[in-house]
Amino acid sequence: MSDAPLEIQLKGLSRRFHEGAREHVVLDGVDLDIRRGETVALRGRSGSGKSTLLNLIAAIDAPDAGSVTVAGIDLTGLSERERTLFRREHIGFVYQSFNLVPTLNVADNVRLVLELNKVPPSQASTRINELLESVGLADRADSYPDVLSGGEQQRIAIARALAHEPAVLLADEPTGNLDDATAGSVLGLLDTLVRDSGHTMLIATHSQHVASHCDRVLELHNGRIAATAAR
Amino acid sequence: MIPVTYRASFSYLLRHPWQLALSFIGIGVGVAVIVAVDLANASARKAFLLSMDAITGAATHQIIGGPRGVPEDVYTRLRVEHGIVSIAPIIEGTIESDNTSLTLLGIDLFAEQQVRSFTGEARSDDQVASSDESLFTDFLITPGVVTASERTASQFGLRVGDRFEITADGRQQTAELVALFADDSGALDQVIVADIATVQEWLGRTGWLSRIDVRIPDGDDTALVALESALPDGTQLLSASGRTRSTAEMSQAFMTNLSAMSLLALLVGLFLIFNSVNFSVLQRRKLIGVLRALGLTRRQLLSMILVEAGVLGALAAVVGVILGIALGEQLLDLVSRTINNLYFRVSVSNVSIETFSIVKGLIAGVGAALVAAAFPALEATSYQPRLALTRSSLEHRARNAVPKVTLIGLVLMVAAAVLILVSGNNLVAGLAAVFLLILGFALCVPLFVKFSSALIAPLADRLGGISMRMAVAGVASSLSRTGVAIVALAVAVSATIGVSIMVDSFRGSVSEWLEQTLQADVYTGVQRGAMDAALIQAIRNLDGVEDLSTRKRAWIEDANGRTQLRVFDMPPESYVGAELLDADPAEAWPAWEANDAVFVSEPYAYQNDVGAGSTITLPTDHGPRSFAVAARFQSYDINASGIMMSRATYARHYDDDSVDSLGLYLVEGVEADTIVAALETLTENWQRLYIVSNASLRQASLRIFDQTFVITDILYWLTLAVAFIGILSAMLALQLERAREFATLRALGMTPTQVGGMITAQTGVIGLLSGLASVPLGIVMAWVLIKVINRRAFGWQIDMNISVDILAVSVGFAIGAALLAGLYPAWRAGQAQPAIAMREE
Repeated sequence: MSDAPLEIQLKGLSRRFHEGAREHVVLDGVDLDIRRGETVALRGRSGSGKSTLLNLIAAIDAPDAGSVTVAGIDLTGLSERERTLFRREHIGFVYQSFNLVPTLNVADNVRLVLELNKVPPSQASTRINELLESVGLADRADSYPDVLSGGEQQRIAIARALAHEPAVLLADEPTGNLDDATAGSVLGLLDTLVRDSGHTMLIATHSQHVASHCDRVLELHNGRIAATAAR
Repeated sequence: MIPVTYRASFSYLLRHPWQLALSFIGIGVGVAVIVAVDLANASARKAFLLSMDAITGAATHQIIGGPRGVPEDVYTRLRVEHGIVSIAPIIEGTIESDNTSLTLLGIDLFAEQQVRSFTGEARSDDQVASSDESLFTDFLITPGVVTASERTASQFGLRVGDRFEITADGRQQTAELVALFADDSGALDQVIVADIATVQEWLGRTGWLSRIDVRIPDGDDTALVALESALPDGTQLLSASGRTRSTAEMSQAFMTNLSAMSLLALLVGLFLIFNSVNFSVLQRRKLIGVLRALGLTRRQLLSMILVEAGVLGALAAVVGVILGIALGEQLLDLVSRTINNLYFRVSVSNVSIETFSIVKGLIAGVGAALVAAAFPALEATSYQPRLALTRSSLEHRARNAVPKVTLIGLVLMVAAAVLILVSGNNLVAGLAAVFLLILGFALCVPLFVKFSSALIAPLADRLGGISMRMAVAGVASSLSRTGVAIVALAVAVSATIGVSIMVDSFRGSVSEWLEQTLQADVYTGVQRGAMDAALIQAIRNLDGVEDLSTRKRAWIEDANGRTQLRVFDMPPESYVGAELLDADPAEAWPAWEANDAVFVSEPYAYQNDVGAGSTITLPTDHGPRSFAVAARFQSYDINASGIMMSRATYARHYDDDSVDSLGLYLVEGVEADTIVAALETLTENWQRLYIVSNASLRQASLRIFDQTFVITDILYWLTLAVAFIGILSAMLALQLERAREFATLRALGMTPTQVGGMITAQTGVIGLLSGLASVPLGIVMAWVLIKVINRRAFGWQIDMNISVDILAVSVGFAIGAALLAGLYPAWRAGQAQPAIAMREE
């Protein structure tokens, strides 16, 4: 793994938020290297900056200082449109609350990112079938999100996140809304799919159990990475 | 102290100011339109009644005669031979001064104290200190002296002693203002008072009175019987208030139609309020769930939502009333102009603020808000504590309700049809049927949306990919939000289709009718009064004039109201100008010319249920007489009072040989313009006549027709404005509701343009579906307006003509309005921050 090229590189990353006259330093000069294919857990208390860090890596947010390089692309100075196109191509998301599009059925939720990435329809259909097969929901392709269980919705969200083969998969408390048994199964699936496809994954989580599946665990405290532990 | 639950609820509204503002505007505009129309109608009516009351004074009854009025000697005989003193003669006419029409009253000052006070109270500054006698003297010995109210003098910039020009009976006269009387109410605005002899001379009616005003103490039946028995044939004693009422009622159908249009705006506003309250309840389902979990009872929850809607409705209604008063000022001008053109002269400068109209507006606003809130409030009380409904289950409920709602809609439409069938010619029932029809149809729209969006979705997918499909599918899958907005826009657009088809068909029918009716090449005559007999002869002798027809419009009256006689003397070649509807012209015309037979206009026939073969009784100068109805003729007169009578028949029954207009038939090859120029030269120093060619008269008639519908245009544009706000409100609410979804799409890589484009496409689909849904309702509404409402209100028989242009423009308009309303929500959706998707609720 140490020979693999760098997929995510953060240098002196800082992000502050203002609330009236008060300033909250959420990230304070974070340096971090994550190599391709590595799975990393990001732990920390609520408000420690986990989601902010994910937003910066996903180009959803921009830093006040420092730089973010993902898949060899320096995100600093990208325009809003360029950041959107970067995210479309290189980032996959898995959210705690799934965030499936309620007006689209399961297959179309996955198709959405493929279409955005201009994957030809025939290839897209093949890819959707593969992914739904791999998450065990091939028979629910025509179902709408509202009739699926939480675990099923999260499986679809994982399929959607991986559909366009992104460089980096970002997951924010992916099992936070699931019971233990379902969480275990979803986590197992995520782990398998990410490792099989060689994606880089960064998971923000409170859970020790979730973190234990990752190659490395980072602890965010007071806006800095306080500790790292390798599995 | 406001309970904390109410504060929780209100603070939601305050934190969504645009939603609050749009609800406010929706209710406010709806209320404003109702109040404005009501105030304009009431002000015009009140001004007319005030003016009539002021002129009538203390008179309880009036003696009236035939078309020329009452012979002056009747008054003399009543006073001298029968010793009846509580009577006052009056002659009334309309004159023009400074391009404004004025009522000219001719009175006998000696008799006035019995009936009116203002006529004797006139003073000039130097008369205040002297006696009343100087005014008496002026009236008696100085020709052309007049008095007027201080307000009227001020409106015309006149002072006591000023001389000014007037036109009476087509002739220029000079009047001198000798005194003023006070009239703070404005009831006597644009009324000029002169001595009876002066007015008779000016109006060319020497020896005639318009009527004799009578004051009989209440309950004095002996005096009443004595007076009636003293009256000669051809005169009648009628109640003064009854005459005023029946004149005012002539405009009732017009005013009822305007009120119905204003209610339409409120109906659309009702959908809008329902939309707003519905959203605000649905979006607070979590809060409601928590409040229920904390112990709020269903009753408390219901009252919380209703109180909130009531307060919102009351505040918006107050603003609506203020707006309505301002709008009423604008509408008043249009309403009074139409009444002046079509019914009777009314002078009204300011809108009078009627408490009843204001209360009606407030009740409409609060009531509409409460009715609209009741359904979502009842829905909200069914939520289980802490188990706030998810969006999907809400939509599931909405979709499940569609068949039931459609069924109710169908029942309402059937009820509308039944109401039309069983209500005879009742106008109010007809209007109620229109509203039932609209409501019923509105309830069927969600089903239409559900099926049509399912049909369009695959096409959208092929055309614009998954985002287009999402846009289309989103319309049906968000039915709880989009449904009401589509209904509001569809109802508003269908109203424009209905009214446009009605006006277009009406215009077409009137245009055809004018084409047929106007057979002469040139028309000339006086607006009011009679043409000079020698002038008629001179016109007949003009080179290039082959033949002419004469016309006299005469009003006859009895206790049932007023009827207009149109008396014609015309060459047989121009018979084709009158379209006879229920008789063979070969038989009907000879009967009309020779016997006591008349033709009745289609509106008259409808309102009085008569036709060929019927017999009608009319007051004549020799008492009531029966006339055979030889045929009905096509006519679009507004008063449902037209009777066509031949000059010969008229001469046998009425002591009146006057003519008010001529139709000239020219020698072949002679240009109408040549004769128009010759007539202008001939009449210049003789009598002022209107002189128009056939083509100009047709154009002028259609111009007046178009002016009459200006107010209708304004009302339906306001209705559309309300619907536009509905779409804007719905799209903004939807955007708020779907903020996370849009943020997710942005996080997944959709650009702001793509997200905005999706919303724009969605509003376009909403517009398209609204437009398509509005077409059948618009056509049905047009049919009801033409065949039921206009028929019942005015008796008009209009051929319905559906113009494809109107339908295409309306659908295009619906799409355009929706797209416009969607621009801002689309922009806002495009600005959705992807970070929101990361944040947990």
